[in-house]
Amino acid sequence: MSSYATTPDSQDDYFGSGLAGAVVLHVVIAATIIAAAFLTHLHHNSWGENASSVGAIQASMVPAIPLPTRAAPVANSVLTPDTVSAAPAPPPKEATQPPPKPTDIEIKAKTLPAKVAPVTAPAPPKHPQPTPDTSKASTGEQATQLPQSISQVKNGTATVTIQDRAFGDRYGYYRQIVSRIVAQNWYTQEADPRSSQGKSVTLIFDIERDGTPANVRIETKSGSSTLDTSALRALQRVDGFGPLPAGDHVTVEYTFDYHQQ
Amino acid sequence: MRFTRAPRSLLAAAVLACVSIAPALQAQDWFHLETSSGAERLRIAVADFKPLTPDAAAYKQTFDTTLFADLTAAGLFDIVSKDMAPQTTPGFPAEINLSAWSAAPSSAAMVAFGNIKLLNNHLVVSGFLDDAKNAQYPQIFTKQYTDEPSEDSARQIAHRFADEIIFRLGGGVAGIAETKIYYIKLLGPNDKEVYEMDYDGANQHAITHIGTVAMSPRVSPDNSRLAFSALGTYGFQIKMFSLLLNRIINFPSTGGADSSPAWSPSGQQLAFSSARTGPSEIWVSDPEGNIAHKLTSFGRSSSPSWNPKTGAQIAFICGRSNEPQVYIMDADGSGVQRLTDGGYATSPSWSPNGQFLTFAWDRKYGPGAPGGQDIYVMEIATKKWIQLTHDGGRCDFPVWSPDGRHIVYANSPDGRQEHTRIMSMLADGTQKKVLTGPGADMPNWSWK
Repeated sequence: MSSYATTPDSQDDYFGSGLAGAVVLHVVIAATIIAAAFLTHLHHNSWGENASSVGAIQASMVPAIPLPTRAAPVANSVLTPDTVSAAPAPPPKEATQPPPKPTDIEIKAKTLPAKVAPVTAPAPPKHPQPTPDTSKASTGEQATQLPQSISQVKNGTATVTIQDRAFGDRYGYYRQIVSRIVAQNWYTQEADPRSSQGKSVTLIFDIERDGTPANVRIETKSGSSTLDTSALRALQRVDGFGPLPAGDHVTVEYTFDYHQQ
Repeated sequence: MRFTRAPRSLLAAAVLACVSIAPALQAQDWFHLETSSGAERLRIAVADFKPLTPDAAAYKQTFDTTLFADLTAAGLFDIVSKDMAPQTTPGFPAEINLSAWSAAPSSAAMVAFGNIKLLNNHLVVSGFLDDAKNAQYPQIFTKQYTDEPSEDSARQIAHRFADEIIFRLGGGVAGIAETKIYYIKLLGPNDKEVYEMDYDGANQHAITHIGTVAMSPRVSPDNSRLAFSALGTYGFQIKMFSLLLNRIINFPSTGGADSSPAWSPSGQQLAFSSARTGPSEIWVSDPEGNIAHKLTSFGRSSSPSWNPKTGAQIAFICGRSNEPQVYIMDADGSGVQRLTDGGYATSPSWSPNGQFLTFAWDRKYGPGAPGGQDIYVMEIATKKWIQLTHDGGRCDFPVWSPDGRHIVYANSPDGRQEHTRIMSMLADGTQKKVLTGPGADMPNWSWK
């Protein structure tokens, strides 16, 4: 005999009602889900549906776009009137006074000063007076209008003026010779282009009878020391201008204008 | 003279060349010449002269041509072409219409005109120079010349009138139209004589008839004597030719070779190279060859040239440092200074104002070197130089003209001595002109 106790049959097969309950529960849950899905689906639009009423834009051709018509211009618009208003009439002319006649204002007649006896110049001395001893003839320093001669050189202009106007007029060719020879000896490369640009220096010198320059001095400095030096050197290079056609010496004013091209 | 043509004794003496390293010279090929400032030149027109008598017309052509050529060659003026000038021949100031000459296209600032006639079997020329831009006082000067009626005197009158114009308008420097050029004419392999010609190459004629080789003629400052060296029994010796007496006058010969004479500007001294004491040195004597004394002691010295402005300096060629170079020294032999920095330099000549030296220079001298002998001008104060001739063949013996505006030199287009001819140019290297045919060498310009 075995030692196992066997359970009575009556305790084994009492699960039939539980199984039925579970099956019913599952069916109810599944039905509820399906019903919910179906009901939810009924109340929403579907995407991509081939229907004309929903989901796409429909264009239809029309002959014209009905724009709003232009408003008629306002007749008396203050801001932009179409018609130009007339200029205001000029003020009425006032009658001017006629100019005073010359006789209107009295002018007192001048009273001539009483005549005085003329002062007689002192009689010249009997003995001859010595004329002042000048080393130069009096051909210069009478200029009122200045005859000039201008020559163009590289990077500048050279203007020569002979102070004796009569000499400069009569011997214009000599003036040109002086102008050209000095211009030929003016080396504008010697002047510093930055500091000399647009400046001018004026020299004064005498030309002796044999044509050699003398007493070269600066009349007006240019403010550029290199330009002043180059002008002085131009005169120092000149050996002579040729003998003077007339006179003992002439005084010449020479202006160097520096303008770089 | 060139060392390559020096006699054998001279070359043997040259073995004693000293070694002296001159400082490296700074050579730059730029300095100021007369035309570098950009100032324009005076424009001058020359009218054909009016023949007043029919027999004067024969000389008119010569006169007109010479005057035009002289003014053109002066290097001072901008000459109005005869095509542009009015086709009139005004003979007197009353006949000239200056406004026609001063207007375009001639645009002349000055007009030279005049008349030419034969009067009492004399050629009489009246020349006028007018300022075309000065209507009130046009006349600058008037000249009248009278000479024998000949082709040559017509040319001389034109030279004198041209010189007067150049003197008045060129800053007081006398023109060179009346100067002469002395040169060596190659008559045969052993016969080279001294010739003379006008500055424009006309009127070439012989001066000496010595039947041997003459070299390096140098005329005295007063145009009275001509010093040259001639090959004699004892090598080259200095000879003196009197242009007044028209014969050779005495000059002492010495034992060694004497050559390349040079007159001092005073005419009181003569410098030359002499090998009488051994090597070739620079010597100075009086014009009779007396009281000769030696200035240098380095050997291989030749070709002296005085400073014509001061007479206080002498330029010369010295080969003390192998190849011959240009040196200058004071007239007493002190203050020797080397000017060229290399190559092969010969024949220095001083400009009349003392500022420049011209010389022949082969800057790339040596076997296989690409050098050619050309004319150079160097400013002495700065040692800057420019080259005046290019690609024209071998050039040598440059000499300044007395006005300082021209240089005459010998040129051989193919390098052969018998093809050497004499050419002149302006001192800036322009206006090169051939003056002689082949067979002329070693020119020397008279002092006045």
